[in-house]
Amino acid sequence: MKAADVLDRVPRESDFTSRLRSPAVAARVGLWLGIAFGICFLTGLISHYAQNGDQPVPFPTAPYWGYRVTQGLHVISGTAAIPLLLVKLWSVYPQLFKSMPWGDVRAMTISGLERLSIAVLVAGSTFLLVTGLLNTSRWYPWAFSFRPVHYAVAWITIGALVVHIAVKLPVIRDALTSDVDDTTHDSPTATEPGVVSRRGLLRSTWLATGIAVLATAGSTVPLLRKVSVLSVRTGDGPQGVPFNRTAAAAQVTAEERGPGWTLDVVDGDGVVSSWSRDELAAMTQRTETLPIACVEGWSASAEWTGVRLRDLLDAASVPRGADVRMVSMQKRYAFGVTELQGNFADADKTLIALKLNGEELSLDHGFPARLIAPNRPGVLQTKWLTTVEVI
Amino acid sequence: MTGVWGLRIGLGGLGVLVGLYGAYLLLSRQDLDRLVSAAIWLGGGVVVHDGLIALATIGAVALGARVLPVVARAPAAVAFVVVAPLTLIAIPVLGRFGAEPDNPTLLDRSYWLGWSGLVVVALSVVVVASLVRARRTTSESGGAPS
Repeated sequence: MKAADVLDRVPRESDFTSRLRSPAVAARVGLWLGIAFGICFLTGLISHYAQNGDQPVPFPTAPYWGYRVTQGLHVISGTAAIPLLLVKLWSVYPQLFKSMPWGDVRAMTISGLERLSIAVLVAGSTFLLVTGLLNTSRWYPWAFSFRPVHYAVAWITIGALVVHIAVKLPVIRDALTSDVDDTTHDSPTATEPGVVSRRGLLRSTWLATGIAVLATAGSTVPLLRKVSVLSVRTGDGPQGVPFNRTAAAAQVTAEERGPGWTLDVVDGDGVVSSWSRDELAAMTQRTETLPIACVEGWSASAEWTGVRLRDLLDAASVPRGADVRMVSMQKRYAFGVTELQGNFADADKTLIALKLNGEELSLDHGFPARLIAPNRPGVLQTKWLTTVEVI
Repeated sequence: MTGVWGLRIGLGGLGVLVGLYGAYLLLSRQDLDRLVSAAIWLGGGVVVHDGLIALATIGAVALGARVLPVVARAPAAVAFVVVAPLTLIAIPVLGRFGAEPDNPTLLDRSYWLGWSGLVVVALSVVVVASLVRARRTTSESGGAPS
């Protein structure tokens, strides 16, 4: 086969004839895709910061439901972006086969740079949506660490998106201010009517996006539990709350959590105070309604009862504003030790919980005692507590 | 004109800086094995979309144009736009790849039932819409069979 024959078989932009593959469609879908990515990026920054041990500006403790909303939005807008991205890529697919302006060095440079930015944008977008989707169902078929890579690629992708908007700004502005059936920026061969109109395709895309959200958001929106047939969690579980790790998986032994268990407050000099579970239960008990809101996007609200952490710290003469470390008995998985900034340690709603929804805390929810604090990612709500270290 | 150019150049420069910061984060906080894995997933998405999903879509449209009656094509196209992305979204839960034997609160639904239900609803809508369109076409052409 001659090289020319092979070239003949590679499609050209002009081989695509549907008038639905138009900038008029791409710009409209792209607008909503951009909004979805913007929400994803901002809520992702919030989530990343909330999980940072080092916070120059302390993450706020109020509103107590804040993280539940921002992380729920993160996963919902990411899910919504999947149909939007697929239709967006479909509408611009012929551009992939556009020929280079060979010979003209300046035009080639500009075209090459633009294609590079598009390649980065498409690679980053698909990466973020695919890894994010898989993460919601705790499926990790890769060797890298999810959080830092998803975070880094988000910056790369948003950068490429801003470049893309800068390059396409005149076309975007024209397309969005003209009628959807306007053909000014269409490829000359994209003239064949589709089986649906451009409006029909756009409405189908909005419908697909809405259904994708309704089918999955029940993991975090209680009202949608019954309709979200594809949600990773129903939001139910032992004592009315789901969990990520069992005590067995975290290798918390029966002996450690047995009658000899104590919760100790320690500082640099050693143990300051120590309480058995009965002693904790004899202290003033507070009940707070607080959500467990996981980084994977599921959340569930519950009624937690236990000792206010500040009451314990007062009893141990720990000054207000001190940062503390919550130490778990878990031996596997990350976040066995989490930092709790002073504003969280002092917050009225921050509890060492002994009960969940009126029952003794079950083993998989963190028995003998766990941390529950307002506006905090679920991974940092340390279970199977053993020590509170004053930093 | 200069105002718009200024805005575009400013935006472009900002985008490059933001992207470079991301590249620095990616390259500076991973060892080589993990970077290679991340690179495979970055490139893999483009290859799977451009080489597989886009071609499969072209194939599905061509097949629809060949086998479906004219009145069913528009409803089928709408159903395809809804069901195809939804099916891709459903892959992790349908396959239960992340299931953990000791965690009954994860993947706690009958996902095949839910997905089949959505597909059946979509197909029913396509059939009903096609019949309505067929009837409308027939009555518009004065009752003569088309």
